[in-house]
Amino acid sequence: MNLRRTIRGGAMGGTVLVYLCLVGLVGTFSDLSLIGTWLTAAGLLLVLPPVVAGAVMTRPRVQAGERRTMALSTAGTGAATGFASGAVLAVGMGLVQVIGIDTVRRVFVSVSPILMETLTFGLSTWGGALVIVIGAAALGGAGALLRSMPRQIRRPIVVGTVAVVALGLLQRVVPSIFDTLSIERDWLYRDITNGLQTTGALIVFLLSVGVTEGLRRLQGRSAKEAGPADALPPEEGAAPEGRRGVPWGGVVRVVVLAVALVALPQLAGPVVSESLGTVGIYVLLGLGLNIVVGYAGLLDLGYVAFVAVGAYFFALLTGSHLITAFGLEDPLASLHVDPFVAIALVAGIAALIGLVIGAPVLRLRGDYLAIVTLGFGEIARVLLTSDWLQPVFGGARGLGDITDASIGSYGFRHPQHFYYLVLALCLFAVFVSWRLQDSRIGRAWTAMREDEQVADATGVSTVRYKLLAFAMGGAIGSLGGAVYAIKLGSLSASGGTFGVLVSVTVLAVVILGGLGSIRGVIVGALVLIGLPDLLSQFEEYRLLVYGAALMVMMLQRPQGLVPNSRRTRELLEVDRSQDRWTGALAADKRVASEVSPVGEGSG
Amino acid sequence: MSLLDVRGVAKHFGGLRALDGLDVRVDEGEIVSIIGPNGAGKSTVFNVISGMYGPDEGDVGFRGESIVGLQPNQVTRLGIARTFQNVHLFPNMTVLENAMVGQHCRSSAGVVGAVIGTPRQRREERRIRERAQNALSFFGPRLAGHRQDQLAFALSSTNRRRLEMARAMATEPRLLLLDEPTGGMDPSETLELRDDIVRMRDQLGLTVVVIEHDMHVVKGVSDRVIAFDDGRKIAEGSYDEVAEDERVIEAYLGTRHEELR
Repeated sequence: MNLRRTIRGGAMGGTVLVYLCLVGLVGTFSDLSLIGTWLTAAGLLLVLPPVVAGAVMTRPRVQAGERRTMALSTAGTGAATGFASGAVLAVGMGLVQVIGIDTVRRVFVSVSPILMETLTFGLSTWGGALVIVIGAAALGGAGALLRSMPRQIRRPIVVGTVAVVALGLLQRVVPSIFDTLSIERDWLYRDITNGLQTTGALIVFLLSVGVTEGLRRLQGRSAKEAGPADALPPEEGAAPEGRRGVPWGGVVRVVVLAVALVALPQLAGPVVSESLGTVGIYVLLGLGLNIVVGYAGLLDLGYVAFVAVGAYFFALLTGSHLITAFGLEDPLASLHVDPFVAIALVAGIAALIGLVIGAPVLRLRGDYLAIVTLGFGEIARVLLTSDWLQPVFGGARGLGDITDASIGSYGFRHPQHFYYLVLALCLFAVFVSWRLQDSRIGRAWTAMREDEQVADATGVSTVRYKLLAFAMGGAIGSLGGAVYAIKLGSLSASGGTFGVLVSVTVLAVVILGGLGSIRGVIVGALVLIGLPDLLSQFEEYRLLVYGAALMVMMLQRPQGLVPNSRRTRELLEVDRSQDRWTGALAADKRVASEVSPVGEGSG
Repeated sequence: MSLLDVRGVAKHFGGLRALDGLDVRVDEGEIVSIIGPNGAGKSTVFNVISGMYGPDEGDVGFRGESIVGLQPNQVTRLGIARTFQNVHLFPNMTVLENAMVGQHCRSSAGVVGAVIGTPRQRREERRIRERAQNALSFFGPRLAGHRQDQLAFALSSTNRRRLEMARAMATEPRLLLLDEPTGGMDPSETLELRDDIVRMRDQLGLTVVVIEHDMHVVKGVSDRVIAFDDGRKIAEGSYDEVAEDERVIEAYLGTRHEELR
């Protein structure tokens, strides 16, 4: 047992616990039940830090590519870490008790009687503290045990737990899906505010464990059938090319996904559809920014400019604003462009603006580029709200009465319809990103990101590909802006609508999901935009959590939640490639010595 | 008409005269070695030729036309490829992808072609892959097979040098500039590379200019040797002529005559 590590882990876990209490997250979530009445979201927040601290402190070492199984005694380390975490919180509670809750509350507003009641479980302060310390120790030990288990045991447990928690958090969404499908839901959700039924949660857990295990067996079998040469576990998304025949698994997955995507708004109802629409907008923005930042490696902090361009130009093209703004009773020309044509035009305009913005910053890199683009974003926002351009953009009042896109009488402003519009555009953007990624253009971008000067010397015109990245990113981002305009029906750049926070949020989506990863952008948008949208209590903590999430990600998992395969290899799978290499080296030496008399030496 | 014609090129960095009125001519099909002590301006010549630096004075001609003022990628497109003294790969791209980037300037698919996947684009993509593999296969089994899908940073330092050369060859150059290609190689690898350089000319018809410190390699490959010191050419001729030259010996202060042979 390593005392220093234990203390450090305990201190970190404890600090997180105290922090969560002090900012009010625990108090706010104490009435959001996840399972029955015994696990609330607040409870989850208290459970997680000791588990994570315990797990982190007993991180198994990878030596020479071999993961060493940890001895059971390391659970002790975890327990000690958890104990320390709990102790920090308990000391905090003790201080509150000694000083008096009213005095503390004058500084730390969130230290409310409700919070103390949550923390003490209805016991006295000292009893509650004792429970917390013992509980934290147990949780830390559990975390350590979980970490030291072999993957095939750990994975189902984690998946099951995540499934249960997810269903608990989505308690406003999932029941309505059940109702629409007229499936009996009493076993899982009896009344919507009280989270999952305990037995239901247990069933969900066991089901997910079973499914995970089943999938693993299936995969193991297909890997064996593929021959001993492919004994390495199949890397996801790595080798679809080499496989022969019809990949039925893939087909089934795509069909299921397609059906789910199409059916989702009908099942989940308008509220969820609205959230999904917002998520979709951010997926579009994220995919666009992903081209600029993820593929080409150009840090753009003024991305919101393209969103604004998309929204405003859509409004101008489809409406009669331009004409009426100049005070002409009789329009010189009608600008009532068809909304779908307008969307395409807007993308073209945004691409041009991308070139215009890109040209002056071609020589800038990294920090300098970020600062300049930040300036561009602000300029865009100020111009849109300025009195100077008021006749065109409506100044602070903005533009109203934006034409809804519609096919026949099927208007897309309705949340459930809007979802389909966004979905279509997202699919388009995904397709474009995916095709570009593995093309000559994608390689040029990657090369430029890796080393700009060398890419230039290897024959890649960095000027052209930087501009192309800005143009492509801008075009896709403007699509997000255009549908945003459709969704709202009126625009105003005052307030934060097109502020720098949007740029930062999109960047957070891209980074959290994984730079350069298409699936990452989708997951990032679901987590950062969708979850807070569905958990209304969460709203005021949104930015707090963004910040924390980004910090943790950058420190612990810089490649993102669903990393780009290249960047995964870059950051994590060095071991595996090293193993493969050393394995192949023997064969290689044999070949080398046959071919070349010089033989050995490529080490 | 010589393939490469560097005339009176000067390059200053602040007060430092890295190149001082330098003339270098290279004919088609030659292998020319550039030697000289550290700081003599050898790499600077490469940087000027490849367009990374603009010369302060003088002119660089390639196939009879001036290439001064072109961007590095334009120079590469015209047919001059180079490697770097301290290997610069794209470390997080695979070995094959590194070489495929080399084919970039010999292909033309645009956004539309790439997104839609036109037959022309797919043919081109196949061609890029084939030619990149060809370039890699120049080094026999060294960069072949499973290594092609390995990330470049996982290669040994020697294989990184080989990959850098393969990437340069994948740009289908007329003239190849190699900057200390044997740096960090052990004696047997150095010998192997010596033969490789000769093969570059004999098999691929490349003209090669190589900056080299290892005199075995210089002696083994060079049709002509050019010695630099202080940004100027101090000797030029066959290996033996240059090795005998008083000023060269003086420039390599402390190096005994016998060792240069």
